[in-house]
This record gives sequence, structure tokens and C-alpha cells, in this order.
Amino acid sequence: MTKTYAEINEKIKNGSAVVLTAEEMIGFVKEHGIKVAAEEVDVVTTGTFGPMCSSGAFLNFGHSDPPIKFEHLWLNDVHAYHGNAAVDCYIGCTRMADIRPFEYGGGHVIEDLVSGKPIRLRGISNTTDCYPLAEVDTEFTINDINQAILCNPRNGYQRYVCAVNSTDKTLYTYMGKLLPNFGNAHYAGSGCLNPLSNDPDYETIGIGTRIFLGGGIGYVIGEGTQHNPKSRFGTLFLKGDLKQMSPEYIRGVSYEKYGTSLFVGVGIPIPILNEGLAKKTAISDDELLTDVVDYGIPRRDRPKLREISYKELKSGYINLNDKKVKCSPLSSLYHAKKIAETLKNWILDGDFFLNPPAETLPNDTTFKPMKLVSELKFVKDLKRAAEICYEDCDIKVVAEKIVRKNINHIVITDRENTLKGIVTSFDITKAIAEDKHDLNDIVTKRVFTTTDNEPISNAARKMKINNISALPVIDDEKKVLGILTSEELM
Amino acid sequence: MTVINITVPFGLIKRIDDYSKIINVILEQKVSANILKFHTGRSGINLLLDIPEDKINSITEALKKNKVIINKKGRVIVDIELCIDCGACVSVCPTDALHMDEKGLLEYSLEKCLGCGLCLDSCPRQAIEET
Repeated sequence: MTKTYAEINEKIKNGSAVVLTAEEMIGFVKEHGIKVAAEEVDVVTTGTFGPMCSSGAFLNFGHSDPPIKFEHLWLNDVHAYHGNAAVDCYIGCTRMADIRPFEYGGGHVIEDLVSGKPIRLRGISNTTDCYPLAEVDTEFTINDINQAILCNPRNGYQRYVCAVNSTDKTLYTYMGKLLPNFGNAHYAGSGCLNPLSNDPDYETIGIGTRIFLGGGIGYVIGEGTQHNPKSRFGTLFLKGDLKQMSPEYIRGVSYEKYGTSLFVGVGIPIPILNEGLAKKTAISDDELLTDVVDYGIPRRDRPKLREISYKELKSGYINLNDKKVKCSPLSSLYHAKKIAETLKNWILDGDFFLNPPAETLPNDTTFKPMKLVSELKFVKDLKRAAEICYEDCDIKVVAEKIVRKNINHIVITDRENTLKGIVTSFDITKAIAEDKHDLNDIVTKRVFTTTDNEPISNAARKMKINNISALPVIDDEKKVLGILTSEELM
Repeated sequence: MTVINITVPFGLIKRIDDYSKIINVILEQKVSANILKFHTGRSGINLLLDIPEDKINSITEALKKNKVIINKKGRVIVDIELCIDCGACVSVCPTDALHMDEKGLLEYSLEKCLGCGLCLDSCPRQAIEET
């Protein structure tokens, strides 16, 4: 039993199409079987509403009099990209405001645009014979401009990882606030409602597919950047008219110490053309698997801790090393469901028709890492031997060593070379000023450390954010292997 | 592990040693207590501690004896106009005061809230505020 797009659209037109959300399809197939489902169900609708950092909008303001060709422009103090014709620009959602970074950014500008709020436009130009105006400072709303086109190079991940944190510090990431010692877990995506999870072989979703985007109608315009079908991490390149969209489904967000982004609502209809698609759209949360990944390791290939189903993720707790870890989504499951419902109603009302893609998405591309011409340097490449004193030695011995070796840091260990603390030349100066004589009173015991295999850039960031100038290099047993100081990094 | 919120009233702390004495009450129990948050509140020093379940009773008894206030009620305000029901605050809440209802909408139970504030900087919409 097969159906065509034309047959499905004919049914939509005469009001006899059977449309189910991807959640409803699971129950339908369970009850009636795949064969009946393929015959009776015409369309399955999907939905997702989550942070999608690779989002932004092309705007065209029309020409000023005299005309201007922007060199730089800002929308509510957020720098927009101008590298196109005179008054076109692209506002990206993760670009943060010059004056309130981490609070307001491109995502918020896009939400404010959709909400019809006035936006301040400031632009400067080098001036030319054809574009003589040097500066513009004005205000506009979405109705005042010619085009406002949401154009997102990477949306709607097929699935995404679940993030946890093995370190002893709270991490602030694009996966939200991750508590220390595996204190919580965050995941993204709507599982069985996720668009690409319901068409994993890209049979119906392709270039030109008409979709729900931000409350209006949008289109898939190709595979998204980093599209990785072989690992089931497919992505979508989407566009749609911002003027049709609703602020309910286009929301600017700001993650603490990470920055801004945009929540985008995406819903894609899947035509049930054959039994294969009936089976695929009936996939349930327990069959959809992803990985739990340790964001405590700041490397490209973060360690995978275990495989996990969306069913377990949605239960509110995940099992990690025999511990119950609280788990919550970053995407709104309520809104995902609402999007699938809304799209279903559009189709049932005869307002939305399905179309075959002009071309299907590639299913053989791979996702390559960045090519770096300079070799990645590690701590072990730059560390030097640490000057060491024992924890029970006299301050004077430490002071003499600092002078004799002309250094600023003395690492304090026990007789077994286990790290016990660090003393700087400033600590010695302070000891003299405060008349302290016991090394124990001046040694810093809680020491920030590094390891041989930490990339230099990570160690440097650690020094910078903690405002320190040296890191003892230790092994797994806290034995001192050397020291990395800011001098080595110069 | 279980989370408790303790408040050491300012009245108890005349000198820094007084504070150390109270911390020693916990250390004497020989447990690995993880300090999730430390801040100076309006009425005293607040500590949010993560301690093993089986030690909860002995630690709270010992602290109460020293006039430390345990699990003082607190509250936050969630602006439902700003909230998008994403869930980013739910996993950081130690008491389930912030949780999702059956429909997937965020629900806040005042009676469970310790006012610990761990949720404040977890919200990408800045919809949660301290009172």
C-alpha cells in the first residue's frame, strides 16, 4: 500500500485526511499494526522547541535619503553582520550586545522584532560617491522594513547528547548549569516528537519541504551545517518569514556565563507514503538512544559515559554509576507537543499542504573536525621542574630558595612528593608585614592544578579566570610533576 | 545525598572562631559534606550542604543544639510571562520545589522551597528572582 503526495493533498483539501501527532502515532500503530496505519494515516506531525544557536535573520531596511552603505551596524546595541549590499544585514542570535553582553543579544533582537517592538538601528559608513551618508541613528519595527527572513543554518538536530559534569565545580555551558560531581543532567530535543527522528533516512524531509517555523510557515532549504547522517546527528537548514511568526515560538534566551541564543519552534509534517514511514513515525522514546557525555572534560571528544534512551531522560532521573541523577530538558516538551498539535490542526483545517522535496538530504556526508596548522600544545610540552619545599620547613628556607632561584612560586609537598600547597613571593612579603613565622599560616592549601595532558589554552584560561600566575602539574595521585607559570605562556 | 540549608544567625557569631566552632560540629560527624552554596543573608550566614542521607539526623541534631537554624523556608518568584517551560531550573533544584506538571508546564511549590537560590542563574529567560 503506497500513497502519493497528490493523494494526501486531495484528502486534506476535501477534509478527509487522517492526521496524527508523532506521539499519537505510537499508540495507533500499537493498536492497529503497521499495515492498517499505513493505509489509514495520511500525515504524522512532529515538533520541537529548544535553544538553536545557529539561528539568525536577514533584514533589509530600504534606503535612506541620502543613501548609506553600512560598514558597521547595530540593532539595540547588538552588532549585526554587514557584508552584503548597502542596507542588508544578518543578525545572529549568539552575538551579544556591546553594553549588556550575557543579558541581551541577537536572539532577543529577533524576539523583539517578532513582538513588534521598536528596534534602534545605528549604522556607520565609510561613504562613497553613490552612498554619501556617513551615519544613521533611527528606530524601526518589523512592519517598517522590507524583509525579515529567519535563516538558520543549523536547526532541529536529529538527537542531541545528555550533558553531565564530573568536576568539583559548577559549569556554565550551552547545556545549562551543570552541577559538580554529576549533580544533575541536561538533555535537549523532544525524543519521539523530534522531526528528524521520525524520518531518519530523510525520505520526505528535504529541500523545499514546507514546515511550521516559529508559528508561521517556513521551508527546509537544505541539510544543516555539521549534518552528520552516519552518526544519526542529521541537521536542517531552515528559512521562514519572521513577519508571520509569533513570539510564543521565537524566544531570545541567555545562558549564564555562556551567552545568548534563540529558542525556535519547528514542526515538520511527515506524509505516510508507505509502510516503512508508518513504522518509522511510530518510534517511541525507549527506542531513541543518545549518549551521556561528560562536559567536565573541555575537549572536542568528550568522554561518553553511557548510552541512554529518551524514555529514561524524560523520566526526570537518570542512572549514572548506580546513582540517581536528577535530569531535566533544555527544550520545552510542552511546546513541542503544542507545535505538533498546531501543525496537525492546520492540516485538518485544510490550510497546510504537503509537498515532495526538490531534493532529499544527503545521507553519506561526514562531519570533519577543524584543521589546525599549528600543533596543539599540552602542559607537558611547556612545564618546567618545580622548586619544592617540604611542608614542615622554615619560612626562611622558602624565602632563600625564592631569592636564589629567582622565581615566584614554591610548591609545598610532603616527603612522598604529594602536593600540599603553594607559596608565592607575595605570600612571603605578606608574612613579613604581618609578622608570621609559621609556613603553615601562609601556604595556600587549596591549589588550582593542571595535568600533563591538559591543552595549554585550557590551563591558561584556568589561570586567567582565577587570577593566578602558576599551576602545579600533578598526576592522578597528586604527585608533583612540575609547574606551569604565566612566564612559560608568554 | 540530601541537601540541607543551614543558617547561622549573626547573633551567634561574635568572632570568627564562633563560626569555626559551628563548622566543627559538622566536621566532627566525619562526613563528606559538599558545600553547594555559601552566602551572607539578611539574618545570618547561609550554607547549602549536600550530606549523606544516613547522617542527616545526627548532623541536624548537633546543629540544632548549637542554635543553628535548619531548612529555613525561603522563596523565589517565577515570572510566568517570561518562563518558557524549558526545564533548565528543574534539575538544579535540590528539593523538587521547581518541577514539571503532567502537561510539561513548570510548577513551583512554595512549601518545598528552601530559598537556596541555585535556580536563579540556571534560567535562560531570567524569569526567576529572589524575594
